[in-house]
Amino acid sequence: MDKKTLIAGAVGIIALAVLPVVLDNPYYLHLAETILIYAILLFGLDIVVGYTGQVSLGHAALFGIGSYTTGVLYLKLGLPIFLAAPASIVVTALFGALLALPALRVTGPYLAMVTLAFGTIIQILINEMTFLTDGPLGLKVPKPNLFGHKATEVEFYYVVAIMMVLSLIVVHRILKSHLGRAFQALRDSPIASDCMGVSVYRYKVYAFVISAALAGLSGSLYAYSEEYISPNTYDFELTILFLLAIIMGGRKTRSGALLGAFIVVTLPSLLADINLFRQIATAAAVIGVLGAGFMLAKGLRTVKEVAIPVVATVCMALFSYKLENITDWRLTIFGLMTLFVVYYLQDGIVGFFKGMFVKGSVRDLSHNVVVVDESKAWAIAPSTAGTGSELLQAKQILMQFGGLKALNQVDLTITKGTVHGLIGPNGSGKSTMMNVLTGIYKPTAGAVEFAGAVISGNTPSAIALGGVARTFQNVQLFGEMTATENVLVGLHNTFRSNVLDVMLHTPRYKREEARARERAAGILQFAGLSALAQEEARNLPYGKQRVLEIGRALGLNPQLLLLDEPAAGLTSPDIKELVAIIAKIKQHGITIILIEHHMDVVMSICDVVTVLDFGQKIAEGRPAAVQADPKVIEAYLGGSVGDEAPAAATPTLAGI
Amino acid sequence: MEILLQLVVSGIALGMIYAVIAFGYQLTFATSGTLNFGQGEALMLGALVGLSLVGTIHGGPYMSYWLMIPIVIVFGALQGMVVEWIGVRPAIKIKSEFGWIMSTIALAIIFKNVAENIWGKDDLTFPTPLTATPFQFFGANVQPMQVAVVLGALAMMIAVEIFNRKSIYGKAVVATSNDRDAAGLMGINTSMVITFSYALSSATAAFAGVLVAPLTLTGATMGTALGLKAFSVAIIGGLTSGMGVIVGGLIIGISETTTGFYISTGYKEVPGLVLLLLVLAIKPAGLFGKSAIKKV
Repeated sequence: MDKKTLIAGAVGIIALAVLPVVLDNPYYLHLAETILIYAILLFGLDIVVGYTGQVSLGHAALFGIGSYTTGVLYLKLGLPIFLAAPASIVVTALFGALLALPALRVTGPYLAMVTLAFGTIIQILINEMTFLTDGPLGLKVPKPNLFGHKATEVEFYYVVAIMMVLSLIVVHRILKSHLGRAFQALRDSPIASDCMGVSVYRYKVYAFVISAALAGLSGSLYAYSEEYISPNTYDFELTILFLLAIIMGGRKTRSGALLGAFIVVTLPSLLADINLFRQIATAAAVIGVLGAGFMLAKGLRTVKEVAIPVVATVCMALFSYKLENITDWRLTIFGLMTLFVVYYLQDGIVGFFKGMFVKGSVRDLSHNVVVVDESKAWAIAPSTAGTGSELLQAKQILMQFGGLKALNQVDLTITKGTVHGLIGPNGSGKSTMMNVLTGIYKPTAGAVEFAGAVISGNTPSAIALGGVARTFQNVQLFGEMTATENVLVGLHNTFRSNVLDVMLHTPRYKREEARARERAAGILQFAGLSALAQEEARNLPYGKQRVLEIGRALGLNPQLLLLDEPAAGLTSPDIKELVAIIAKIKQHGITIILIEHHMDVVMSICDVVTVLDFGQKIAEGRPAAVQADPKVIEAYLGGSVGDEAPAAATPTLAGI
Repeated sequence: MEILLQLVVSGIALGMIYAVIAFGYQLTFATSGTLNFGQGEALMLGALVGLSLVGTIHGGPYMSYWLMIPIVIVFGALQGMVVEWIGVRPAIKIKSEFGWIMSTIALAIIFKNVAENIWGKDDLTFPTPLTATPFQFFGANVQPMQVAVVLGALAMMIAVEIFNRKSIYGKAVVATSNDRDAAGLMGINTSMVITFSYALSSATAAFAGVLVAPLTLTGATMGTALGLKAFSVAIIGGLTSGMGVIVGGLIIGISETTTGFYISTGYKEVPGLVLLLLVLAIKPAGLFGKSAIKKV
């Protein structure tokens, strides 16, 4: 934690502490309390929406489950707050898991609708299960007893404030740990996450359950704060309000969640006053026109692009003077705000100001260079033990897509300690073979044995954890994460810490994190990326992205490394560097399968080469022998083996 | 037994309405991979505009029920184009899934709120064009309007299918749904095809609205629940299968009427929603859908 964060934190805590003293109006104190309660939920929602990139429309229902658990436990069993609130967390987390297990197998619009369906079911259940919930009548939950007396509004405010700060710390710790990195990774590239041993499905469920637990806590506090709960509170509108808060405040920041909570809680009071609303609408129109004028003058936007927001804000201002009664149009305004935020303020208010700030000052990355010994990159000392034995055996692999046999009864044996080239014309089945070996495709028939055990049929993440790492033909980095974080995702397997370790920052977690960071620095050093360690992966030059992918794969401590066209699109100096890196990896006893179209690369570093054509193996052997094989030449250059080739001009593959 | 048959008959009529709305989801999903979360609101607006034309609420009736149908279909098409233009096109441009989900929801909220302000918050009765006297069918009372709903829904879906299969414009739609990029390279104006699919989708919903309105009450809130249940239908049947939505619609419709009678009307929506969760857990592509092969 750096100095700035500490100071901001201290200022925030002091502000929270003195607020009730400054604010002696109970109405405003209650609003502040509600903001803090919403903020707790929003921290959790941000994990799902901001980090894993899923759209949940079920958080109002989870919030409701939290409230009703507390309400029912208090009214039926008379449980005190320090039992009821944790019970709310647990019950809501369980419901979250119940929803997440089926729902997270699907993505995007499906997930949104499933969570919406869940929300509807929960609202129906709350309404109908009158023996527990008193149905539409709702429940009365008085303020809890603290230290032998009923808490006053101010005392309860402090309870909420403390819970908010604790949630903030816990969420922040989780998101900065290997768990948070996994959440982000699966959003940027699900397939690469799986192939780094981070099971996409499992971590999505974790994220959802953590998020649900926070919604439970928030709901429980809400019940005490309002002292009355009824099913209609937890409707679709509230869900949208939460989502609006998150995207308006700013995704992936805690300050954004707090700001979003502040906006959506104060919004209804602002909209209740027609004169205030007229002033705000007028101000928005003026800002819109001035902003558009500025953008146009600077040539940042075209007239067409700024037309919609300008017309919209001006119309809104005019409309506000025609309106007599604002409350009837509350939802329309609310919908318009959502549209505006979705298209013109995608990174939220916090993201918007951050963007302006970062653009203004050029970031100095040089001081971030961590110098470590390159040997730290390797988990174990280089070993050549067992060289020459069989590491991987693919037997009679058949991969069929409809009527097409992408791989037809292919055998492949990889010897430990070698670099095994896999070549063939486009569409010959090389990448399909790669996907079969790493578990992305399940072969139609045949089996893959790795280190003596059958791995075909296992999930990609299980195979990755077993020691098979890969890179991708079209680079699959985690774009929004830094180079270091990308490698740290590769090192995910070195963590044994669970959520509790992360929340409490136990010595075990601290030790593992420090060790992983040291190794990540070592790997980046090895790959020649130290200077770019803190740069986001999407900003790296293409050649560096390819190398970073290899570095990330090394984090898995693979026994076998699959490189899918690592030299594609590289310049020749980059290729030289790449060849050197591959040679060094080989020296460390890692077996390599290399798919490549650059024949000079293949011929110079491969020990054995297998040639595929139309899903069949047509040749295998030492590079030179394969290069001269007439069948291979035919596959690449066309013609038939029987053709009389002029003796003087026997083609070879050297130039391809 | 007669009661059960009665429930099945009402369930079929209800289920066909769900199927038509779900069919609308399929149309836009095929061309652009997006869905209009305000499909239920498109239905609601269609029904209310129809009510203004044939009912007495805005000084009418101005015309007969049958004459009103084409006008409502055109209105629905225009409404769908607005949704596509404001809510979906910008999101497709920036490739933001979150964008179109949120903006179609936002538009749905706006439509609902505007409708509340124009037509009021209370449910209104819709004059029925056919006689309300039921006829006997194996002992079950069947309203003529229920038959009209089933036939109308089937006719709408068949018309769209024939259009897609036989006409050159339909071929453009099919081509776009198979591969948007390739279709674009072949000179098909894919963004126009997407707009068209939204127009078609909302037009079907508006038509469904005036079909179902005489059987139920009409009001600003009628769309949300219908839209959600139609989504269950689309997922249960599969977002790619025309047969799937009909079967899915019938399953949900009949389960709803029977649950409402035998258990409690409050719980009538639960079996459909639970079935939705189950289908997703066991066969996410839907009962009739094909699962896609992911490519690396």
